[in-house]
Amino acid sequence: MSEFKRNTSDPDTSRRGFLRGGALAVGGAVGGMAAALSARAMAGEPSELITQVQEWNQIPGDGVDAAPYGVPSEFEADVVRRSVPWLTADPISSVNFTPLHALDGIITPNGLCFERHHGGVAQIAPADHRLMIHGLVDNPLVFTMEDLQRFPRENRMYFLECAANSGMEWRGAQLNGCQFTHGMIHNVMYTGVPLKLLLQEAGVKPNAAWLLAEGADASAMTRSIPLEKALDDCLVAFKMNGEALRPEQGYPVRLVVPGWEGNMWIKWLRRIEIGDQPWHQREETSKYTDLLANGQARRFTWEMDVKSVITNPSPQAPIAHGRGHAVLSGLAWSGHGRVKRVDVSIDGGRNWQTAQLDPMRMPKSLRRFYHAFEWDGTELYLQSRAIDEFGHVQPTKTELRSARGENSIYHNNGIQTWQVRGSGEVENVEIS
Amino acid sequence: MSKSLNLVLLLAGLCVSAPAQAQDADAGQKIFKKCKACHAVGDGARNKVGPHLNGIFGRVAGGGADYKYSKAMVQAGDDGLIWDVDTLAAYLEKPKAYIKGTKMSFAGLRKDKDVANVTAYLQSFSMTSSKPEAEPSGSSQSSDEVVAVATTEPVSQLMRATHGQYHLGRIALPEEILAWDIDVRPDGMGLPDGRGNVARGGELYDEQCAVCHGAFGEGEGRWPVLAGGQGTLKDERPEKTIGSYWPYLSTVFDYVHRAMPFGNAQSLSNDDVYALTAYLLYLNDIVSDEEFELSKENFNAIRLPNEGNFVADSRPDELHYTAQIEPCMQDCKPQPAEVIMRARVLDVTPQGQEGETTGAIE
Repeated sequence: MSEFKRNTSDPDTSRRGFLRGGALAVGGAVGGMAAALSARAMAGEPSELITQVQEWNQIPGDGVDAAPYGVPSEFEADVVRRSVPWLTADPISSVNFTPLHALDGIITPNGLCFERHHGGVAQIAPADHRLMIHGLVDNPLVFTMEDLQRFPRENRMYFLECAANSGMEWRGAQLNGCQFTHGMIHNVMYTGVPLKLLLQEAGVKPNAAWLLAEGADASAMTRSIPLEKALDDCLVAFKMNGEALRPEQGYPVRLVVPGWEGNMWIKWLRRIEIGDQPWHQREETSKYTDLLANGQARRFTWEMDVKSVITNPSPQAPIAHGRGHAVLSGLAWSGHGRVKRVDVSIDGGRNWQTAQLDPMRMPKSLRRFYHAFEWDGTELYLQSRAIDEFGHVQPTKTELRSARGENSIYHNNGIQTWQVRGSGEVENVEIS
Repeated sequence: MSKSLNLVLLLAGLCVSAPAQAQDADAGQKIFKKCKACHAVGDGARNKVGPHLNGIFGRVAGGGADYKYSKAMVQAGDDGLIWDVDTLAAYLEKPKAYIKGTKMSFAGLRKDKDVANVTAYLQSFSMTSSKPEAEPSGSSQSSDEVVAVATTEPVSQLMRATHGQYHLGRIALPEEILAWDIDVRPDGMGLPDGRGNVARGGELYDEQCAVCHGAFGEGEGRWPVLAGGQGTLKDERPEKTIGSYWPYLSTVFDYVHRAMPFGNAQSLSNDDVYALTAYLLYLNDIVSDEEFELSKENFNAIRLPNEGNFVADSRPDELHYTAQIEPCMQDCKPQPAEVIMRARVLDVTPQGQEGETTGAIE
């Protein structure tokens, strides 16, 4: 309840709030309060934060259970998902974005995982949920949630990226913030049953080659998935980051299709039909197909290719500390496997240095990178370039456009450029 | 407690899937008197000399009742013995022969009919804790009658599955599969019986679809455009519609049937969906006769114009992936970078600037 209040009362979800938040942050960079305080300290004046007894030093705070389900600090109120209303016709079939610029490490907190619904968030009591497996099987089966939780389960960390992540940038720099350009991604530890076990329980017939996964929501979302993938690494998950799935992520159960486009990770999973051919459903014909410049369209473009983005600094997270030692940080991922290397450039791709990779390196999961540099206050053009364990190198946007044109919508994994001005402000740009 | 445990059943009804021989749980209750000295079953049953028999069906031999079983029985369970109609019948017929070393001193039931009846009786206490007195008074005792009350699960749930490795879940009933399996493939698999013509589709469309999709399928606001756009796929701003882009008509039928109208999904009859699909063909100039009737019979004869333009994923063949060149690290560009394009939408929630934005999510 308190979390609900936090979200709805958050002033930053409004347009003015967003601008105000941005202005405050930038103000700090160009000589606001932070700089002033730091100047006083330099001048040898003691900090009142240290010399004076502060309110929180003296008066006890809330006791236990003030928030039975804990919520973030009130000072983190602007770390929220945000949407871009003009993108879609109606919030019931829409998307919002993970605030990547405000996060570190590789785990996305459950309440910040971006949402994409086609028929709103279904609210389903676990006791009322059923998962049916039928079609080319020996025994068509119905599972309750209790049944599913009696199968052997596994824990695995995967990123989920919407195929349309960065899709608004095909024709050029458009949205000013990595939350909006790259925020249709999250990275979560799933607990679930390998789909393979459920299929084996039903007994898959020899001529089976495809399955159709269907959600129980009002869009009855469906996707065709090759049986080979289902038997490889798909999970039927009921927990995320240790707790139950959030309703907006498919509570009580969703499909996990590691490394493949998010639309296939059917939420509120209620049915799996086994067949010998794909179904060519709406979300794999009319949508989630990639139109090329020659008028042809690629279909079944499932894997999410190697990609990275610098999350900090970025337009929503300008450099506030002025010149001197600086650390840039970002995220890299590949739907093919592990990220092997990330290069970063601060001069728009003329010269590159290999970034420091955080040791956590699971396949098909986000990987965090850092790069320290001395900022002399001059203009920078920040870029990152990921390479995965199979040697896929993240392409430039120019390379992608020359191969595909500008109307693909999906699978834009091109190198992102952030311009850092002398003031520390950052803007989404494209460069020569 | 799940709903399935709240079943109130006529005991005889539990024999749905048992083999050909007619069983009578009522008669089985009488036979069970022979067992009562050592075994309890039903509400509040506890272990006595032998284990209680609630939930015996589907139980692994030598487990499940918190009872100190014989080593032989535990071993049988480890070897995969699970109690069902067949295994229990074999055991009750000759206990010491079936499980050598069992603690049960009972000699066995000689008559097949007695075995069938007592297993039927025991089965009524499996997957349910319902009490014998839950049996409605004055009701028919015929052995094939089923009365299930206060449940959303069919009686067959009570029959323990023997499928697969874990025996989890239950068999889906044909009516249940029918209710959920409404998907349609391009080869026509899944099409229901039915028919509807362009004129009827037009009426339905005006009532239920035009508010979002526009009177002629042109789309209101950012709602999907359904018609027109033929020949625009190579344009700077392609218009992807059913007529210009979608490869298969089956997708139209399937999607309208499962998800439309937005806000009232799965409210259209099969005939309505045929009629609407016919009308969408008409709006896209793929049929021109208002009397044209679409049905299961003629559905597969209709092809959409853009079917041939869909190709397999060829991203791996793109030069930037196939080149396998070690990425350049130094002096990779002759000139310093210059900005050629800036984020055009500095304010991410623009008002009245729709015309300037590009690449909406679909």
